[in-house]
Amino acid sequence: MRRTPARIRRLIAYALLALFVAALLYPASMEEVLQILPKLQFGQLTAAMMSNGSQKFVVIVSVMSVLTLLFGRFFCAGLCPMGALMDMVSLLRGVISKQKFAYKPAKKSRMIVPFLVLILLWLGLNIPFGLLEPYSLFVSKSLFYPGPSILLFAVIILAACRGRAFCNSLCPAGFILRILSSATKYHLKFDQNQCLRCGVCSQVCRTSAIDGNEQNIDRSRCVLCLDCLSVCPNRSLTWGTLPPASLPLRRPFLHQLPLVILAAGTYLTPASIRAKSFYPPKTAPVLPPGALSLAHLNAHCSLCHSCIIVCPNEVLIPSGENSPSLWARPVLNPYNGFCQYDCTLCTTICPTGALIGMTVEEKHISRLGMVYFEREECVVIKNRTSCGACAEMCPTGAVRMITGLYGDEEPDIKKEFCIGCGACQNVCPVRPFSAIRVQGLLVQQTAVQPVKVESEDLTLNEDFPF
Amino acid sequence: MNRRAFMKTLAGGALAIGLNSGLGPLPSKSLRAQGFPDLVATKGTDLTAMFDRSLEALGGLGQFVKNGQTVLIKPNMAWAVDPAGAANTNPGLLSHIVKNVLNLGAKKVYVFDNTCDNWADAYRVSGLEKSAQEAGATVAPANTESYFQKVVIPGETTLKEIQYHELYLEADVILNVPILKHHGGARMTAAMKNLMGAVWDRRPLHRNGLDETIPELLLYKKPTLNIIDASRIMVSGGPRGHGDSQYLASQMMIVSQDPVAADSAAARLLETAGLKAPKYIEEAARIGMGAADLNSLNIQRLTA
Repeated sequence: MRRTPARIRRLIAYALLALFVAALLYPASMEEVLQILPKLQFGQLTAAMMSNGSQKFVVIVSVMSVLTLLFGRFFCAGLCPMGALMDMVSLLRGVISKQKFAYKPAKKSRMIVPFLVLILLWLGLNIPFGLLEPYSLFVSKSLFYPGPSILLFAVIILAACRGRAFCNSLCPAGFILRILSSATKYHLKFDQNQCLRCGVCSQVCRTSAIDGNEQNIDRSRCVLCLDCLSVCPNRSLTWGTLPPASLPLRRPFLHQLPLVILAAGTYLTPASIRAKSFYPPKTAPVLPPGALSLAHLNAHCSLCHSCIIVCPNEVLIPSGENSPSLWARPVLNPYNGFCQYDCTLCTTICPTGALIGMTVEEKHISRLGMVYFEREECVVIKNRTSCGACAEMCPTGAVRMITGLYGDEEPDIKKEFCIGCGACQNVCPVRPFSAIRVQGLLVQQTAVQPVKVESEDLTLNEDFPF
Repeated sequence: MNRRAFMKTLAGGALAIGLNSGLGPLPSKSLRAQGFPDLVATKGTDLTAMFDRSLEALGGLGQFVKNGQTVLIKPNMAWAVDPAGAANTNPGLLSHIVKNVLNLGAKKVYVFDNTCDNWADAYRVSGLEKSAQEAGATVAPANTESYFQKVVIPGETTLKEIQYHELYLEADVILNVPILKHHGGARMTAAMKNLMGAVWDRRPLHRNGLDETIPELLLYKKPTLNIIDASRIMVSGGPRGHGDSQYLASQMMIVSQDPVAADSAAARLLETAGLKAPKYIEEAARIGMGAADLNSLNIQRLTA
């Protein structure tokens, strides 16, 4: 028995999972983690590549693909937070029931769902992908939204019953990695002389990929958990070079499929363009910074909800609208909070480029929406009292208090400065609907930067004016 | 006297006793009896020296802070704006006050503000969290409703109840240390307006009119001493300040036990820059929270 490799594997996977969870809980203090870990998610990278049609993600996807071609599905073993979560659940399974895993031959029918999901992604419809991609599934654990959380629950139940069955029957990233790793050269293999044919390895394999009797490992399904090494009584499983394997698909050219899909997605009319024809939107809610436009957000957002979870002001929520162009997309609800002037966290974490990263200076003039002032509802006008909460909160001076007709201060709107952060709507005391609100834009705009005027300080004419 | 009238009298008496024991007689009376001024205005360039000089004129900080007491210092740190923007209380002044309070043997010194900008940013960028902590104060959070307690305001008031921060209610001594600024909604923010940072939900104040509701913040509990940082006053674009805000280099500090008198003097400073005095000062005087008429007060004018 060699327990060390599996232990190291678990240690890495669980450490990364813990790091992930910590970063999502304390985003402001762990910004570096957010900049790296989500961007190593193979599924998210796939979506990013296919929708961007840009070279930005090609390098990292290529490196990961080549490593998978050579060594198998290392991503599933260590980098996937959902995988680590499922491993934890299957640990529990061992405690609850004594039922063991057993070898099952690969079924081609299990490849249909992820294949269709990828085809839809290529066509520009990314909602099914967002629901099944493990990172999206993991992050949008979403206490917020019924859809993903029920799905997550189902996947956890599946993990408790069938181990890593999800990875080989539903996961779109797993689909690509599976085909890539089916002909892996360097992988686990049986030492024919050592093997006692006891079958213990088959009983612990959470993907049912080890045929102990035939001394064969289905490399395409193996997620490299290495548990088989821990249980083998005679050290008969070793690393080694393997001859070409029997492939999961009948026609060899189909094994180029994932690369074809990726290339097609990336280089043949990116999904962002296809998405536009899918759902032409007419109006838009207030979209998060860096979303550029509703069309851009729709094309790139994989519904992972990372932005929603890291938002320190809790202004981002999954849209409750049931149209394909808005379903569960991140939008601002200024009644919950407002977009902090100096904060760019959501654009930092976005793994697919749906929210384009920006500097604080760019954020200052990035217009998410446009202010709309319903003067007759304003307490200053209606009751002739003092308020000015909107002007107080406005970070750009788009709302200022000026002396109105009655000699009292009232809000005055300078639209050109408005960045649509929603601070005015949030703080306005009028309810149920604020008297000053932000309206969404189909295409985000650039606001006019207020001119900085450094004027000399005034001085007092007398020492004490009282 | 029938039973009902008797009960009413009894209730009234109990309320009067409660008010008296809770708030005490106006402390300025006793200071006045000792011959100290009602209000001290000190000119100078160094805020710490101005503070020392002002408090010396009032008989020292020991008049207000006693050994073993819990002290709340309530600065204005509502904005994620650096000290150069003069949108928050000066960090150097705050740390100086914290040190002085601790030297007098205060058991605990707390600092908090229910910020307008994101609280973590405001606490950090204002520089006040760091300066208060380094001086030995406990910087308390005020970002969730759980830190606040609801109290019922006695009498015929617009606000029936207010949610104050628990530290505001518990503190033996409250030192109110605002910075004087123009305010788009209320015209001016200084001593009284700064107390809105000790309140959780400010929407009822805005909804019912700031001029009527700000004075009512004083009804339940008053600060022990008001120390207004009026060294450099934002006279336009307040309270946050915009890129084109203008400032008045007034180099002054106003210290008084009476928040209405302190605000009244502060308003005179704003008036020299062409601004109008806020209406809530008169309203506060009307409901008996202090003196708006500076001529009736014994004002000491000093230079540090």
